[in-house]
Amino acid sequence: MAGRCETRTDERRRRQASFRPGRGLFAFRGGEALTIETTVVGSYPKPPAEGTTFRLRKTLHALERGDATPDDLEDARNELVREVIAEQEAAGVDIVSDGQARWDDLVTPFARNMAGFEIGGLLRWFDNNVYYRRPICTGALEWRGPSSVEAFSYAHSVASRPVKAIIPGPVTFAHLSVDEHYKDHEKFVLALASVLAQEAFELEAAGATIIQFDEPALLGAPEDLDLARRALEVVVADLGSAETVVATYFGDAKRLGTELFRLPVNGFHLDLVAGPENLELIREFPSDRRLQAGILDARNTRLEDEGVLAGQTDRLTEAVGDNLRLAPSCGLEFLPREKARAKLELLGRISGRVGA
Amino acid sequence: MMTIDLDGPGLWTTSVGSLPKPDYITKARSRFARGEIDRDELLQLERQATREWVEFQDSIGTDVIVDGEQYRGDMVAFFAEELPGLEIGGLVRSYGNRYYRKPIATSEVVRDKPITVEWWEYAQSLTEKPVKGMLTGPYTICDWSFNEHYDSRRDFVLDLAKVIRDEALDLERAGARFIQIDEPAASTRMDELDLVIEAMQVVTEPLTAHTITHICYGDFHNAYPKMLDIPVDQIDLEFANSDFSLLETFGDDAFTKYIGLGVVDVHTHALEQVDEIADGIRRSLKYLSPDKVFVDPDCGLKTRTVDEAKAKLINVKKAVDVVRAEL
Repeated sequence: MAGRCETRTDERRRRQASFRPGRGLFAFRGGEALTIETTVVGSYPKPPAEGTTFRLRKTLHALERGDATPDDLEDARNELVREVIAEQEAAGVDIVSDGQARWDDLVTPFARNMAGFEIGGLLRWFDNNVYYRRPICTGALEWRGPSSVEAFSYAHSVASRPVKAIIPGPVTFAHLSVDEHYKDHEKFVLALASVLAQEAFELEAAGATIIQFDEPALLGAPEDLDLARRALEVVVADLGSAETVVATYFGDAKRLGTELFRLPVNGFHLDLVAGPENLELIREFPSDRRLQAGILDARNTRLEDEGVLAGQTDRLTEAVGDNLRLAPSCGLEFLPREKARAKLELLGRISGRVGA
Repeated sequence: MMTIDLDGPGLWTTSVGSLPKPDYITKARSRFARGEIDRDELLQLERQATREWVEFQDSIGTDVIVDGEQYRGDMVAFFAEELPGLEIGGLVRSYGNRYYRKPIATSEVVRDKPITVEWWEYAQSLTEKPVKGMLTGPYTICDWSFNEHYDSRRDFVLDLAKVIRDEALDLERAGARFIQIDEPAASTRMDELDLVIEAMQVVTEPLTAHTITHICYGDFHNAYPKMLDIPVDQIDLEFANSDFSLLETFGDDAFTKYIGLGVVDVHTHALEQVDEIADGIRRSLKYLSPDKVFVDPDCGLKTRTVDEAKAKLINVKKAVDVVRAEL
């Protein structure tokens, strides 16, 4: 283990000089002092706009029948990633994602690739009519190589804007899984943290300047906040200058309180749609952290009133100044494609970047 | 609520609702979607499949029959397609490579004609046993739809409650003695259980039929015993997929309604053996009185194959017969 850490530290030293610091994103603002940065939380609808061929779905069906090859699937996925990134960029999103276009859910791509996990049955994804497969931990967890780095690298290579790398946070990963091995929540979370640390490290090595850890389950588990802090310290320990974000969504962080902001990351995503009470917390937002404010409802098709959103954005700016970044409330995959795109275009208008 | 007028000491058998579609229905539905067959041709096949399922349930001695929902796709979209005010929206993913068209409320939701009554009448015409009327509950329709019209979820749910109430009343007028109003979404948000209850009150208040609701997996331990406040005569729950662990909760707070006892897992191909099912029923009888128990699979069987579903239903019936003989 010591050897591995040494290698990673050496790697980091070697790379540090050449890497763009995460905080340097304001360079993309092109001197427009009034615009606010925008980003997405992660997922994006896979179906295309109505009336066009849904290549990914067709290819997956064809693969099942033996009428397509894994290469065909890779091509379909790559095409979708390019499309998703182009759509975000066209809408004016500053920091894009690959739309999680290759994933069925947030946790199984990682669980499948670790030693110690089996994949269980379908369970509801929080309070949505959407499902994920529950990972079952049956042995000691070990990293067996990167799970998301190739996907990140591809997105990074086709995007003209920075691509955010997104991985599950250790506490959420644990809550969404069954632990039949450690039989101790803390040990399980910390074991996940050390595997996720290697993933984060490799993502930074591959060029990620922003890494987001999704921790929606933390909202319902305030008793885990201190454990989350210790686990995230493990996760970020070997990172260089990459900006780190903890994302919470589907509710408010009232039960976590301002203690949330003591987690060892550079920024926080708060869902202001499912958790309007988060506005209270924002009043006490620390001046040295970035707020990623989820102001657009990513789970309902109704398009928000631009004036209302602009007013809300003004109030957020008053509270956190330059540290504001605007986003939808959560991943956009809950919406049909056209509706997701319309939301992003609205986000672009609100930020003052598009059509202002 | 009417007295249960079924033969025997209890432990009546039934199904939760959906049953698998035979291949010829799956194919016909795709052909219909592509415009290769007309509505009438599809309808004839759906009636054939319904008849086959009713006859099968009759043949194994099922006490309360379901029509098997051969003519329904998604349980929310089926109603949305028939209700002015709800539009069928774009594709969203539910899992893996599975997508559905999620409805959107774009104006006040109303009901301009009966939706399920003809199908119920057809199924009932095929058997002497009672056929359950099967409806999706207002809370679940709201929760699984987008809302572009209503100011609040409560307004949306309460309009849907009136729609479902009217459908239930029409089923009752047609002769339905058992009406099930499914609320699988009810256990997802504890803070809205009061809304589930309020809406169900609207639906069941004028009914005299035996009313049932099916609730899927979720935060059961937090929802119980408050769940008993949902104004229905019977709650149908999954027991098999948690190895009957819900029963322990009944030790602290007695289950006061009729219960639908899910005794086989619908998410596994594996066939539960008669002994195993009988054992689960016996364990349940430590907490429940047999004359308050309906025995069925955990949930709708539509995700299993026809043969798997039949084998599960046969073993449920055999296990019930074993335990009934011990009463």
